[in-house]
Amino acid sequence: MDPLALFTLQVLNALSLSALLFFIALGLTLIFGIMRVVNFAHGAVFMLGAYCGVAAQTATGSFAASLLAAPLAGAALGLAFERSALSRLYAREHSAFLLVTFGLALALTEAIRLIWGADARQTELPAVLAGIVFVMDEPFPVYRLLLIGAGGLCWLLCWLGLQRTRLGLLLRAASQNPTMTAALGNDVGRVRAMVFALACALAALGGALAAPLLSASLGLGSNVIIDAFVIVMIGGMGSFIGTVAGSLLVGFAQTFGNFYVPELALGMTYALMITVLVLRPGGLFGRPE
Amino acid sequence: MKPADPKLVLLAIALAGALGFVLPGHATTLLTEALILALFALSLDLLVGHARLTSFGHAGPWAFGAYIAAAQLLVLQIPLPLAVLVSGLATAVIAIPVGWLCVRTGGVTFAMLSLAFAQLGFAVVFKWNAVTGGSDGLAGLPRLGLPAGREVFLLFVCGVLAAAYLLAHGFVTSPLGRIVAAVRENEQRAEALGHDPRRIRLVVFVLSYFLAGVAGALYAGFAQFVSPELFFWTVSGHVLVMVVLGGAGTLVGPMLGALALFYAEHELSALTESWGLALGLLFMVVVIAAPTGLMGWLRAAVGARGR
Amino acid sequence: MNITRRPALAALLAAPALSGVSRAQGQPLKLGVPTAMTGTWAALGAQVVRSCRLWAKTVNAEGGLLGRPVEFLFEDTQGVPANCLRKAQEMVERDRVNILLGLMASSEALAVMPKLADWNALFISSVNGAGSITAEAWVPNAFRANTSGPMGARALALWLRNSPQTNFFSLSLDYAWGRSSVETFEGLLTGIGKRSIGSVFAPVGTRDYSSFITRIRQANPQALYIALTGDDGTAFLRQAAQYRLFERMPVVTETVDMLFTRPAGDAAIGLVGGSRYSFAYDHPANNAFVARFRAEYNELPDTYDGEQWQALEVLRAAVLKAGATDTPSVVAALRDLQLNSIKGPLKIRGCDGQAEQQGFVVRVARREGFPVPAPEVIATFTAAEVTPACRASNFS
Repeated sequence: MDPLALFTLQVLNALSLSALLFFIALGLTLIFGIMRVVNFAHGAVFMLGAYCGVAAQTATGSFAASLLAAPLAGAALGLAFERSALSRLYAREHSAFLLVTFGLALALTEAIRLIWGADARQTELPAVLAGIVFVMDEPFPVYRLLLIGAGGLCWLLCWLGLQRTRLGLLLRAASQNPTMTAALGNDVGRVRAMVFALACALAALGGALAAPLLSASLGLGSNVIIDAFVIVMIGGMGSFIGTVAGSLLVGFAQTFGNFYVPELALGMTYALMITVLVLRPGGLFGRPE
Repeated sequence: MKPADPKLVLLAIALAGALGFVLPGHATTLLTEALILALFALSLDLLVGHARLTSFGHAGPWAFGAYIAAAQLLVLQIPLPLAVLVSGLATAVIAIPVGWLCVRTGGVTFAMLSLAFAQLGFAVVFKWNAVTGGSDGLAGLPRLGLPAGREVFLLFVCGVLAAAYLLAHGFVTSPLGRIVAAVRENEQRAEALGHDPRRIRLVVFVLSYFLAGVAGALYAGFAQFVSPELFFWTVSGHVLVMVVLGGAGTLVGPMLGALALFYAEHELSALTESWGLALGLLFMVVVIAAPTGLMGWLRAAVGARGR
Repeated sequence: MNITRRPALAALLAAPALSGVSRAQGQPLKLGVPTAMTGTWAALGAQVVRSCRLWAKTVNAEGGLLGRPVEFLFEDTQGVPANCLRKAQEMVERDRVNILLGLMASSEALAVMPKLADWNALFISSVNGAGSITAEAWVPNAFRANTSGPMGARALALWLRNSPQTNFFSLSLDYAWGRSSVETFEGLLTGIGKRSIGSVFAPVGTRDYSSFITRIRQANPQALYIALTGDDGTAFLRQAAQYRLFERMPVVTETVDMLFTRPAGDAAIGLVGGSRYSFAYDHPANNAFVARFRAEYNELPDTYDGEQWQALEVLRAAVLKAGATDTPSVVAALRDLQLNSIKGPLKIRGCDGQAEQQGFVVRVARREGFPVPAPEVIATFTAAEVTPACRASNFS
């Protein structure tokens, strides 16, 4: 294979992986930035998205339906959980969140197994997305281009949302100083509920987008959550631009690492995280706590 | 009567040891494993409860201790009590550089750094096939230097647990332990008084890793088997849940939390395949209903009766 | 000398047990199945469990074993050795179980095996593929009724003798089973005048295979060998199809499971591989089993449904031969036990407990009457051809 074609292909591979990781990491960092909650259930929500997506597509025959159903299910779950459990705990220590989100992860995983069974579930992509394009004479899946586009679009919309809307302003304010924001007459409780629902919707959408690559299976949640943590830590907890950078860094490190040094692939992301956190304890774009 | 009276705790551990002579064999074995986990949770409480360093990588020292013990038992064939002590010390030694890097940070960053080191350990034992047995682990570890019989092993575990508890309790109530508390409550103030927070935290870190290494080594002797799963992050999550469930910062609480979670999981999973659902919901209820964990709940109950 | 002494020894050991039989008459025979019912291996565990249930139902309808009804104790291990050890021990010591089956991960089996002698229990593997179980880690009370990883690789290599491809690239999961499969396969390649031009190991839990696919394309072998299973196998097949990898080279695999070919959908068509068990094996005993299974579950039996069933048939034959269910009697009866199983003639050899049995190579194809691509048997090899030497995990 021509070296330039190889390189281009690998960059595209890395970008598509980064895009997928971005969906789950973005929600995690939002929740942390605004609510100071480390959400251990985020991987399980991602998995829920994959299952809901597959179920929706099986029922309606439309892939678009899966991209709609998954975030809706994620948002509904997030909202219900925030209102019924998290909202009672904001005055408490970090450890309370740990236990309650850990509990959600356990319960959700088992609920999914009860509903859909232990076997993996899958659907086929519509013909137009299952096709290929040629990049320097090498075939590349159309669907991965869609992933890159979806990741980019999500990044753009979130950035515009944060910078240009009143809600974005409120979010940034709540992330920097929740007491002050509340004192100014804003309903912090509502902001938190919305943020949690939005973050869960993003993770579930990521799951639905990942389903055509992976199929929906029970191991999905616990695998992906650690990668997402790594991204958020590398980028800096609560930093939007940091999450973008972290997703790209981890996506590229895994893609190129698996190619050139597969023997080290297992420990690579952790070594990367240790290096970043030792040099910059707050992450690349964050402030130290 | 305060539930955290050390004499009472030692009495309870002694009683647990005596149970080995009356319980049926399998129940003794179960209790032994539960008490090893209690020691593991106790070691984490020093970090989480007393230094407020929420480690999410405590599987690291636990598995490290277990593998060091496994190597000694397999290669050197030394008595188990000696292997346990050496493993604890080796874990304490490795804790110095790891801790030096970790304790500079706090909060979530500390949690994730400790996690990264544990996962790195997982990667190393997983890949280093020739020495660690890779994904298959090392099986058939001999249990030397102890008279046969599970009552004896239970007594040994109880002895180690009692010693570890005394050490932890002694540390927390010592002048150094009070400085740890001072650093935890107000770092600037403690610094102004001439204490180096990083060094103080490192001391707690090393002590905690020492005890976790001892617990892991005991586990290796107990199961006569080690595998990379011991390093996995789910183990870290588990022991952290034990500490929080029992009540962080009370030493006794986390031990009770370990027993409670271990037995709850064991019994639930025998009862239903959907034990995960039951346990998950239980966590949520406990967090909301009992803010200070089992220990707080127990204290309230005892206090009410005392009155 | 040992051989002449054994029947006498067995009779001696069986004597007290026989008096026990009359006492135990009508008491259910409890069989312990500590397996992965939740977690990553849950789908495999579900096969083990449903096959056991069907077997118990069948046997009990026929009046049980030695006149005793059969009862299974299932416990969830999540595929974690520490849990498996605890659950197995409790079954043995509290519930008086002396026969263990259905252990999932090889590491679980390897953790339990050294304890069997102390527990006076025996174990018959139906899932565990690691070569070491009947080699370095062998213990007298452990038996393997299933096809091992090296046996699967061997059957495939024998089939490849006549293939036009001469150079191969290997991709496998980075753990004991995957590594030993690739090692065995590469060794076998040289034996049949072909060669390996490289291999790569993907960490367990890899989700994105694009980088590995690119690596394979760059190596540009004439054929690809994969040792992947479960979610990892599904993810690879789906993604490789999306990159049109299969249009460039045929793919062969150590073991074909519908568990991972079904979710792969059309991507699995054309996949050739060793098969531990397949419903497609046309043999009266197998056809009867498949019919019974479909009648019960309205589904085709998959690899571990069949392997578990075979393990249970081995147990039944041994118990009937021994006329007792205590450990020494059953262990003695298992040695050199012969029976006609759903995979054809089978013999548990005495030296390492491995079941000598036929090896199959299957191809996944779109088949009449099946909603998803399904395997068809394309070659069958004799037990002598596919079984490694005693207590060896490779073929020298």
